[in-house]
Amino acid sequence: MTVKKKKGIQISRGVVHGPVFYFEKGQLSIPRHRIKEAEFDAEVDRFLEAVRISKEELTQVRDLVLDHLDEDHARIIDAQMLAVQDEEMVKSVKDMVIREKKNASWAYFDVMDRYESMLLQTLSDFFQDRTVDLHDIKKRVLYHLQGDKSSDIPKITKPSIIVTEKISPGGLINIKHNMVLGLITKEGGYNSHAGILARAFRIPYLSDVIDIEELNNCSEIILDADNEEILIDIDSDDVHRYTKRIRNFQKQRIQIITDKVASATKNGEPFHIYLNAGFVDEVKPLNPELIQGIGLFRTEYLCIAENKIPDEETQFQAYKSVLQSMGNLPVIFRVFDFGRDKLLALLDMEIIQEDHVFDEWGGIGFLLENPDILKTQLRALLRASVYGNAKIMLPLVMFTEELRQTNKMLDNIRKELSRESIPFSQTIELGAMIETSSVLDELDSLSNLVDFFSIGTNDLALYLIGSGRAVDLTKNYYHPKIFHAIKKVIQVGQRVGVPVNVCGEMASDPYALIGLTAIGIRSVSVGTSALESVSKHVASMDTTQIEKLADPILKADSPASIYSILTQYQQKDIT
Amino acid sequence: MQSREIQILNKHGLHTRPATAFVTEASKYKSEIMLEYNGVKVNAKSILGLLVLAVEPGSKLMLITDGPDEEEALEALHKLVKNKFNLE
Repeated sequence: MTVKKKKGIQISRGVVHGPVFYFEKGQLSIPRHRIKEAEFDAEVDRFLEAVRISKEELTQVRDLVLDHLDEDHARIIDAQMLAVQDEEMVKSVKDMVIREKKNASWAYFDVMDRYESMLLQTLSDFFQDRTVDLHDIKKRVLYHLQGDKSSDIPKITKPSIIVTEKISPGGLINIKHNMVLGLITKEGGYNSHAGILARAFRIPYLSDVIDIEELNNCSEIILDADNEEILIDIDSDDVHRYTKRIRNFQKQRIQIITDKVASATKNGEPFHIYLNAGFVDEVKPLNPELIQGIGLFRTEYLCIAENKIPDEETQFQAYKSVLQSMGNLPVIFRVFDFGRDKLLALLDMEIIQEDHVFDEWGGIGFLLENPDILKTQLRALLRASVYGNAKIMLPLVMFTEELRQTNKMLDNIRKELSRESIPFSQTIELGAMIETSSVLDELDSLSNLVDFFSIGTNDLALYLIGSGRAVDLTKNYYHPKIFHAIKKVIQVGQRVGVPVNVCGEMASDPYALIGLTAIGIRSVSVGTSALESVSKHVASMDTTQIEKLADPILKADSPASIYSILTQYQQKDIT
Repeated sequence: MQSREIQILNKHGLHTRPATAFVTEASKYKSEIMLEYNGVKVNAKSILGLLVLAVEPGSKLMLITDGPDEEEALEALHKLVKNKFNLE
């Protein structure tokens, strides 16, 4: 029997074999039953109430969006608000309840379905992406109609490969991840939150797979994300052929790091390689004997996991658990960094992010405007600090003043904790992320208030070069402006004795890593997927040779010339 | 009852944003307000109805108002359309 194959686009690598768990878009299970005439009024009222609550929620969402994004995005919510209470729609639902005796959920679903299919038909090229996503609205109203708060979460009983149209970040995280062997979706993106989470959890993920319905009837499949294939109608011989690769992948999945991470270059110069992480479960399996610490713990992922900002106790337990599994190694907790994309994930909304307008909002500035959120988090961090070597890092620092305010808040919390006789570490370090252009002018005053600098190259590139995240950032790494900015941070750091670390994708790029080393970086933090290769590169570096590249790099006038300096060096190095 | 032919001047036709502006304005009036396009008549206070029309750029529609404030409504909505919904 020949195996049938389907193709897709790799979002997260890996190979798995397992049963299919197929669920329809959003898993909206619609209770359908006929009602009695005596129930008409009550049923219609129930529907109007669900509409009212949904509208109220959207009003809150709109306020948030207007406060923190812009008028443009608020208009998208305006359209959703009009649609959720659309008078023709409401009329049709009422009619259907009364004439066809359908219960409200059923009638509403049918009416919305009709609008959706009509909208789909009218979609000409220029109308695409310019219409309201009714799915979101529908989900919201049905949710309030049913009162079944778990209807959105698929209930998986055994480890399976999930097949669905598209998956929301909330949906992914809610699936107990050891139940998810792999993911297959019709729609998705490399940088979607589901995509990021899949890579973080090492779940093989293929997106853009067509006719996923075909997989509904398969009992077992092989998902080979490495080769961007799905094998259906498989027999034991097929499974046998894949056994070795599947086992290897499982091994990698469990023991993420198998070799000790390099702590010095070939010529014996100390070099720190830290790890980026965002989930407690991601940190737990790490062997502290093999690594040097967590250089960036993205605390906002806790919010994605909970779909809300967790309370002090929940945060405390999470931070404590991370610190305990790391022994005495440093763990740098970056306080909540709610950028535009993260806000949207929290609200579980899908707004197209095609615009390259840079948002000024996020980072420590936002937290200082919302001191309750920051205070709760700092209290949780200070309480957890006695369980290991915790450091606190502030994202998207713009002004020295933000450090002053944070320090003041920390002092108050320390006093509070002392009064309450709650122990905390007296020596917790505070660092600033250098990732905006404005902070580059305040490095001197800033350096007096911090214990370390960490350069976030992704946002720094955005600020200095001004291109959107959607554009391939790799090319931006080689921009002279980036190298000059980093050099400036290193110089200030050396002068006042503040260590400088680089976290961001730039450090994972082998050529860019040489460039960073050339201008004086000796500490980086990278994702687990890049750790092994970065470690190998560092171990093979001869800094006495690499430092000779500093001059030509800092004199170069274009990204292309920096790129060629670095690639030429690398080629010489290999041969 | 009042009616007037209007032309959609927006680059992208009557898509979500102009439709939102139109429905918001129309909803301020007590009169019944209808839009007729390609022989299809819809309630202009219904965003879903407007979007289903999928009015392309440059198209002409009939704006119909009927009720106590039909004249004001007609003028205001015509002005909004002429000004490209204050969006461009």
